Amino acid sequence: MGYNVAVDVGGTFTDVLLFEERSGRLIEGKVLSTPDDPSRGVVEGIESVCKKLGVSFEDLNLFFHGTTVVTNMILTNTGSRVGLLTTKGHEQILLLARAWTPGPLYGWMSLVKPDPPADPTDTVGINERIGPDGGVLVPLDEEEVREAVKSLVERGVESLAIGFLNSYVNPAHERRTREIVRELYPDLSVSISSDIGQEYGEYERTLTTVVNTAVQPRTMLYMKNFEKSVRERRFGGALSIVRSDGGAMSTQAVAERPIQIALSGPSGGVTGAAYLAREIGVKNILTFDMGGTSTDVSLCLNGETPVRRDIQLGYFQFKSPAVDVHSVGAGGGSIAFVSASGALQVGPASAGADPGPAAYGRGGEEPTVTDANVVLHRIPPGVALGGTLQMDEEAARRAVGKVAERLGMGIEEAAEAILEIVNENMHAALRVVSVERGHDPREFGLVAFGGAGPMHANALGRLIRSRSVIVPPTPGVMSAFGFLSSDIQNEFPETYLRIAEETPASELKKTVERLIAQANEWLDGEGVEEDEKRFDLYADCRYYLQNIQIPCRFELDELSGEDSTFLRERFEEAHRQRYNFELPDSPLEIATVRVVGRGTIKGVSLVASEDGAGTDASEAVLRTEKVYFGGEWLKTPIYERSRLRPGHAVGGPAVVVQDDTTTVIEPGYRGAVDRFGNILIEEA
Amino acid sequence: MVLNEREQGLPDFVREHDIDNVTLDIIENALKNIRYEMDRVLVTTAVSPIIREQADEFPLIADRQGRMVVGQFGSPVDTVLENSPYKVEDLKDGDVIATNDPYMMEGSTSHLPDILLVRPIFYEGDHVGYALQWGNLMDVGGKTAGSIPIDARSIYEEGVRMPPVKLYDGGKLNEEVLRFFCHNSRTPRETRADIMAIAAGTAAGAQRVKDICDRFGKETYLEACDALLNRTRTSIINLMRQLIPEGERFEFEDYTDDDGLGNGPIKLKLAMWREGDTLHLDWTGTDAQVPGPVNFLLNHRMFQMFAGVFLISAVDPTILFNDGYSDVIKVHIPEGSVLRPKDPAPLSNRLVVMARLFDVLGAVYAKAIGFNVSGSYGTSPNFVYSGVKPDGEPFQTMEILYGGIPAIPGKDGLDGHSWWPEFLAVPAEYMETYYPMIVEEYTARRDSCGAGQFRGGCGIRKVYRFISDGRITYQDDRAHTYPYGVAGGRPGAPSKKTLIRKSGETVELPSKVSDVPVFEGDRLVFETAGAGGVGDPLERDPEAVAKDVRWGLVSREAAESEYGVVLGEDGSVDAAATQSRREEIRASRPEPPAFDHGDLPPLAEQRRIIAETRRKFNEWLSHELGTARANGRG
Repeated sequence: MGYNVAVDVGGTFTDVLLFEERSGRLIEGKVLSTPDDPSRGVVEGIESVCKKLGVSFEDLNLFFHGTTVVTNMILTNTGSRVGLLTTKGHEQILLLARAWTPGPLYGWMSLVKPDPPADPTDTVGINERIGPDGGVLVPLDEEEVREAVKSLVERGVESLAIGFLNSYVNPAHERRTREIVRELYPDLSVSISSDIGQEYGEYERTLTTVVNTAVQPRTMLYMKNFEKSVRERRFGGALSIVRSDGGAMSTQAVAERPIQIALSGPSGGVTGAAYLAREIGVKNILTFDMGGTSTDVSLCLNGETPVRRDIQLGYFQFKSPAVDVHSVGAGGGSIAFVSASGALQVGPASAGADPGPAAYGRGGEEPTVTDANVVLHRIPPGVALGGTLQMDEEAARRAVGKVAERLGMGIEEAAEAILEIVNENMHAALRVVSVERGHDPREFGLVAFGGAGPMHANALGRLIRSRSVIVPPTPGVMSAFGFLSSDIQNEFPETYLRIAEETPASELKKTVERLIAQANEWLDGEGVEEDEKRFDLYADCRYYLQNIQIPCRFELDELSGEDSTFLRERFEEAHRQRYNFELPDSPLEIATVRVVGRGTIKGVSLVASEDGAGTDASEAVLRTEKVYFGGEWLKTPIYERSRLRPGHAVGGPAVVVQDDTTTVIEPGYRGAVDRFGNILIEEA
Repeated sequence: MVLNEREQGLPDFVREHDIDNVTLDIIENALKNIRYEMDRVLVTTAVSPIIREQADEFPLIADRQGRMVVGQFGSPVDTVLENSPYKVEDLKDGDVIATNDPYMMEGSTSHLPDILLVRPIFYEGDHVGYALQWGNLMDVGGKTAGSIPIDARSIYEEGVRMPPVKLYDGGKLNEEVLRFFCHNSRTPRETRADIMAIAAGTAAGAQRVKDICDRFGKETYLEACDALLNRTRTSIINLMRQLIPEGERFEFEDYTDDDGLGNGPIKLKLAMWREGDTLHLDWTGTDAQVPGPVNFLLNHRMFQMFAGVFLISAVDPTILFNDGYSDVIKVHIPEGSVLRPKDPAPLSNRLVVMARLFDVLGAVYAKAIGFNVSGSYGTSPNFVYSGVKPDGEPFQTMEILYGGIPAIPGKDGLDGHSWWPEFLAVPAEYMETYYPMIVEEYTARRDSCGAGQFRGGCGIRKVYRFISDGRITYQDDRAHTYPYGVAGGRPGAPSKKTLIRKSGETVELPSKVSDVPVFEGDRLVFETAGAGGVGDPLERDPEAVAKDVRWGLVSREAAESEYGVVLGEDGSVDAAATQSRREEIRASRPEPPAFDHGDLPPLAEQRRIIAETRRKFNEWLSHELGTARANGRG
């Protein structure tokens, strides 16, 4: 018996969540992040929580770590200097990108495009060419490779990326080039594009490879130091790093593919919410994670974490599996303003953490969403954010007053308008992932977390008409909770581009079996036991020549027969649900075949407590305050979250406070505490 | 030009509105989101690369009267209905009107490959508006693959014309009309799939408008539409008053190369002045329509929209674009000009004139407002390669290529990027997988960028090698004229095409060709124009020039001759030599013009060169076709 621990390193705080296997208890801790060496904050955070419980590193079994080390390197362009070898004639691939400029007309005037992540000066075209069918059109000029690599290294290049055209069909030239590099410089870090992605699209594949290479040396160093410092403290368990797609993998695997942890942190919240939903028997959920500058939403069907195939970081879009969240620039720090045409707008500009909202009293003067919440007492007077930061109500009123004046409204009225607009922006985001994809939100629960999520959750649930709103017990450390619930996981995709009607299932089976073998080998490397392995099989399909890929799941024993048309029904059902039409005459193209290998590990399990407290929650009432709802001040009880017990019911209007967030229950709604400590908000 | 009745008095939406501001803001946001959703539906479900990879399509939501509430192009609903057998009263839920006829639409679709779908929206039986979407189809028949012949003499040569017909009648697909239309296309399967995808986009738009009515009530929604039109109208009036001085006349003219039949250059001339709260835009002085298909039938409302969008984008991008300001921007387009040709003048290759229109509009604004003066854009041609693969399967590509983005004060232009919003370049790996070609080279074209304190973007150089015998067609421009530079900035380099036969024979092709026979092993070197620069090149930071040289965008020679920057052996700036070289250039050069159109011969000489180029090309082409036939490869 022992403990599992998850650590989520954020910009300001490092969150620690410890799971006690014996009791099923979750113990939270928060320390300031240490940007100069994030691993220090991690170790300090764990130590502080361990101290509370009188345990040591030796008592820890599983260790999950979510890190922004890669994210930050990409955003600030502080990775190593990368040299790039391309196919001759395509040296400016990263500069030309895909020619994209933003809308509307004249949108190009506002585009600020960063320099390519591999300097064109450090890019060399090599005489070689693979054709689209994998045939060699021009043999690899090995002498040229040697010269190019030598001159790049002499020039100061610290790592090397290799991206040749059509290497996703035939990686021979890339692999041979890597061999040559390794003969010359055994210690130089090298990535080849066919390892990073077996999918067509030379720009995206090359970009992803270059970025992977750029962040590799420093990520490896970080992982090495990090592992060393926890091992020195006699941690003897398994150490896992959280991936962008919500799975986990070893530090060795990270060293090969650091790009796969680029969105390590944000994935946790969704994984955690999906796990929670499974455990409490709500299979279909919308997740709503509202922070200071942005809100991430997603939709989980059947308790599964949704995964997409690319990620956006700043200007760049990479090919790498990541939890499919839709982000919108709306958060507690979002600034409200009145446009030239007199329309009230909120965000995407944000006051950030510094100076932050006016209510923080750090010199911020622009009205933010947090200020509106303070004005309306949705953050009740006297409540300190994170237990320490007192709200300056007067400053908040002054800031909101600026907008009120321009709109010719009262301050409270303007504050309520700000909330309505920001809620609307987040509502639109929830619609993108639900209604627009053919899902009816009324069949979904809404799981709210993040610092500001529970404050707006009731309103969002009302707008999107979700079945119920679920506020978990620890909404402020949801990512860390998600880490604890993650599986060892990796995906193995291959561009297939074959017509289902013309593809014998036995041939498809061969490809799938090869990918399963790769996945299996990887899972072995991660130390996963046979009986914990699972393989999920997907064919990502589309009508011939379409731009979508709709994942169609299948089982290995379905692969018999003269063609692969069994996929068609699955594809068309999804296509119809989403787009309302079918093309019966169009052939079905299997664009990608994908195997996701998983190793189940149990980092956490929820323990239900007995109902028994009765519905009367008055023991948890701290005091009453006036809070503004729907144009008037209402006498509203303020509850202390830690005093709420399973079975308790809280009638709206009500505000529930806890260290890291505030839950608002609107008039006409009721919050019930379930056996796991979640507050479920529904219409009264 | 015939003015609509409502353009003579104040529009009916100019009044007090019974709607609170917050609800209005929420509905505005929801409408904006609808547009993006319609985009996403179409881009993901369409099959032709021009939509799926390049996003050439535009959605729109109009109110009950057919006025655009949100969108980019201005609404043609009234014109569509006027030219159809249907009256508003005849429309019902589930109807979709489809048309691709530019003349019946007064230019709302400006060539035949563009199809427009109009879906009336009903809420609980009441008509509440329209959802519209344009899309560029791969082929609608006509004499050349891709339906953009460069030598058509009438629209009848350019493809099948579909007058406004009900593609869906009460939700039921009119299979007969769709089959008939697609049968006339060389790519029937793709054309059908794309039309279905466009219809799905309009359905998504209609459904979302119904959702808004569900939530706020129909009356509130309709009131919101009026209020949004009014709000935009007021904002545009305010912007005009602030920015455009009254009583002054601003003019600019520039040229399109030619019409593809040897006629050119073709002048576009625009004058702009403000009179009270009315902005006048007058194309008087623009050349007459031409025999070849570069005529651009310019819809007056679409042009009002472009004019407003420019102001909005430059000053306050948060203002919603809509038809609210259609009565305060007055447009005059002379009948029979290249911007208002008469039926049945050919229109397919209007893109080149449209591109120049944006240059001229930008320059006129630049003179009036005095900021965001940009150089001229490079070129963005279409390229089609068609034939039969060795295995007997017919194929046809359609690709849009990009040139240099102009410099603006404070910022260099991007190299080989799209002027059109949200368009993308097609990956070589995609083209090679589906079509018999190899993309041997795709790079920025060195020294094609117009020099300046802020340089224009470079055009691109793309080398295709053909694997099957076939035909190529493309429509480029700026081979005889230059993309201008501004305020001391130099023009970008002209476009250029070179065909290299397998035998090694090299032929320089004009900027517009159709159905040139190509054979297995031939190469086409496709070079688009660079963009104009802004400001004196001698004022450019020498380090920036050194970087351009390192990156292969500017040659050492050009660094010295254009920018006066002398580089050492290692590529670093030789400060002393640079200073003296710059002084030398300053002392010897003439005062730079406000707009530098490049070193062009007199107009008459240009006309002669253009006609001569075409004549020689035609001779060569008929020889090539003859040889091909003789060799059994025609």
